[in-house]
Amino acid sequence: MSTAVAASDPLAFETAAAAPRRRFIRQLLRKKLAVLAIVYLAIFYACGIFAPLIAPHDPYQQNLTPGATRQGPSAEHWLGTDALGRDLASRVIYAARTTVVFTVVVLISGSLVLGLGLGLLAGYRGGWVDTLIMRVGEVLAGLPTLLLMLAITAAFRTRINDVAFWLQDNTFLGNDARTFVKFSIIVFATVPFAWIGTSRIVRSQALAIREETYVLAAEAMGASSWRIIFRHILPGVLPLFVVGVSAGMAGTAGAEVTLSFLGLGIDPPTASFGSLIAAGAGPQTFERYPHLLLAPAIPVTLFFFAWNLLGDALVDLLEPRTQALR
Amino acid sequence: MAPGLAGYIVRRLLWAIPVLFAISVIVFYMLRLAPGDPVDSLLGQRYREEEAALIRKKYGYDQPIHVQYVKYMQHLLQGDLGVSTRHQSFTVSEIIVPKIWVSTRLGLLALAISFFLGISAGIYAALARGTFLDPLTISFWLAIDAVPIFVAVPFLQWLFAVKLDLVGLSWQGFTSPNIILPILILALPGTAGIARFVRASVLGVLREDYVRTARAKGLPERIVVVRHIARNALLPLITIIGLSLPGVAGGSLIVEQLFGIPGIGAESFEAVLAPDFDVILALVLFGSILFVLANILIDILYAVIDPRIRLGAQRG
Repeated sequence: MSTAVAASDPLAFETAAAAPRRRFIRQLLRKKLAVLAIVYLAIFYACGIFAPLIAPHDPYQQNLTPGATRQGPSAEHWLGTDALGRDLASRVIYAARTTVVFTVVVLISGSLVLGLGLGLLAGYRGGWVDTLIMRVGEVLAGLPTLLLMLAITAAFRTRINDVAFWLQDNTFLGNDARTFVKFSIIVFATVPFAWIGTSRIVRSQALAIREETYVLAAEAMGASSWRIIFRHILPGVLPLFVVGVSAGMAGTAGAEVTLSFLGLGIDPPTASFGSLIAAGAGPQTFERYPHLLLAPAIPVTLFFFAWNLLGDALVDLLEPRTQALR
Repeated sequence: MAPGLAGYIVRRLLWAIPVLFAISVIVFYMLRLAPGDPVDSLLGQRYREEEAALIRKKYGYDQPIHVQYVKYMQHLLQGDLGVSTRHQSFTVSEIIVPKIWVSTRLGLLALAISFFLGISAGIYAALARGTFLDPLTISFWLAIDAVPIFVAVPFLQWLFAVKLDLVGLSWQGFTSPNIILPILILALPGTAGIARFVRASVLGVLREDYVRTARAKGLPERIVVVRHIARNALLPLITIIGLSLPGVAGGSLIVEQLFGIPGIGAESFEAVLAPDFDVILALVLFGSILFVLANILIDILYAVIDPRIRLGAQRG
C-alpha cells in the first residue's frame, strides 16, 4: 500500500491518543467480541470446508429401526437424530458447508465481481457508464427483494428435474447435478440484488480518490486506467468494501436459509440450516423434541450474530464521528 | 415550504415513471418467460393439452408476450389490476386491498415498538459510552437481531402458548391478545439497526458546542438529553422510518405464514407458488411504488424540518 493510503486510513486514529483505562477496557471488550466473532466464523468456515473429515457419521445414512429416530443427544449421536434417524450433528456440519459455499459464491460473484467491479468502473469512469450502472442499481433497489427472489426460485423449480437429469447425463456432475441446479437457482435469485449496496459505497469512495493529487500524477505520467484503478484507487476503497461486505454478510447467508426454510432453496436430502430448522419448527415438535430445533438453530444464530458483531466493530472503527469520542 | 420544493417533488415523481415502467417490463417478461406455469397449479400435474389451451386462451397467455404486456398496461392505466387465477371470482384489487390493510396495521404497531425500544437503547448506549454497558446494550440487540424469525416463532409459541398457556396461536384479529406474539416477533429484529443508528447519531451530537453550552449553564441532565441531544440526534432517523414504511405495508411473509395472519405477506407467498401472474405483478408494482414514494417523502421531510437543506438549487 502506498503511503498516501496509509495516511488516509481511518484505522490509524486508533493508536493516536493514550486512552484512560476505562476507555481502554471498553475498547478491549469491543475488540474481544470482534475477536470472538472472528474465531467463531473461522471455526464455522473450517467445519464447512472440512465437513467430510469432521462429521462423525454419514449425514445421509437413514436408520428407521424403532427407537433410532428422533433420539435425544447421546455419546453416539452428539446432537441426536432426526425423523429419519440421520445423525443431526453431521447434518448440521453439512448445513454449514451449504452456507459456506453459498456465501463464498455470492461474495465472489455479487460483492467482488459485480459490487466492487461496477462500483470502481462507475466511480472512475463517471459519465454515462456511471449513470447507467447507478440507474440500474436504483431500479433493482426499488424492487421488493424477497418477493422477487421467491418468484424466481419458485418459477424455476417447476422444471428443475428436467435440467438436473440433463446435466446428470451430459456433464461430469453426475449425482450432484440436482444440488448444483438448486444452488444455481438461489445464487441466480440472490446475486442481482447483492451488489447494489456494495457498489454504491465503492463508487462514492472511488469518486473521492479520483480527485487526489497522486491519481492526477499517475495519469499525468501516462499510467493506464487499469493500473490507476488497481494500484491507486482499489487500495483506498478496500477498507470500506470490507466493512460493507461484513455488515451485509448475515443478510446474504440469511437469504439462503430463509429460502430453504420455505422449501424453495436447498432441500433435503442435502442439508441446509433452513430445512433443518423447518423440520424442528412448531411448538408441539419443540415440546417433544427440542433438539430438532436447537441443534441447527444455535449454530446458525451464532453465525449471524458473529457477522453482525464483526460488521458493527468494523463500522465503529471506520466511523470518524464516533471515533473522536474515545 | 422550502423554496423549489414543489418543482423538486414534480421532478422526482416524473423520474419515478420510467423507473416503474422498467420494473413492470422486467417483471412481466420474467414471469412469462420463466418455466413456471399457472396451468400446472390449476389443473394439477397431469392434464389434457386441450384443457390447458382453453385456460391459456381465457387468460390471454397464448398471445405473444408484448401483446399481453400492452393489454395489461391498458387495463392497469384504467385502474384494473387484472384477475387472479387462484381466486376466480375476485379481482386482484379485491384480494389484495384488505390484506394490505391488515399487514399495514400490524406493521405500524410493530414499527412503533421497534422505534421506542431502538431509540431508548441507542440513547442509553451512547450516554453510557466508556463503560461496558454500551457494548453490552448494542450486542444484546445484535444478538436478538441474529435469531432467525422462523427460529423465534416456534420457540416463543412453545413458551407462551404451550408452556405458559398465556396466549393462543390462532389469528383472531386485532382485539385478541393472540396478536402480542406476532407483533413482538415483527418488532424485535429491527431494533438493533435503530439502536446502532441512534447511538452513532447521539455520539455525533454530544460533541456539539450547544450541548456543552447547555451543560455549562447548569441545565439538568434530563433536559439536556431530551431537549438538546435527542432532538437533534433523532432527525436523521427520518431516513430509517421512511425506508421501513414499504416493508410495513409489504407485510412479513414468514410471520404471517406461521401465524396464519391473512396479510399481504402470506398472500404473496401463495401467489408466487401458484404462480398467480396478475397478483404477483400487482404486489411487485405496489412494493416498488411504495419504495419510490418513501424516498421522496424522506427528502421532503428533511427539507421541511431542516431549513439548511434546500433541494431545488444543488440537485438540478
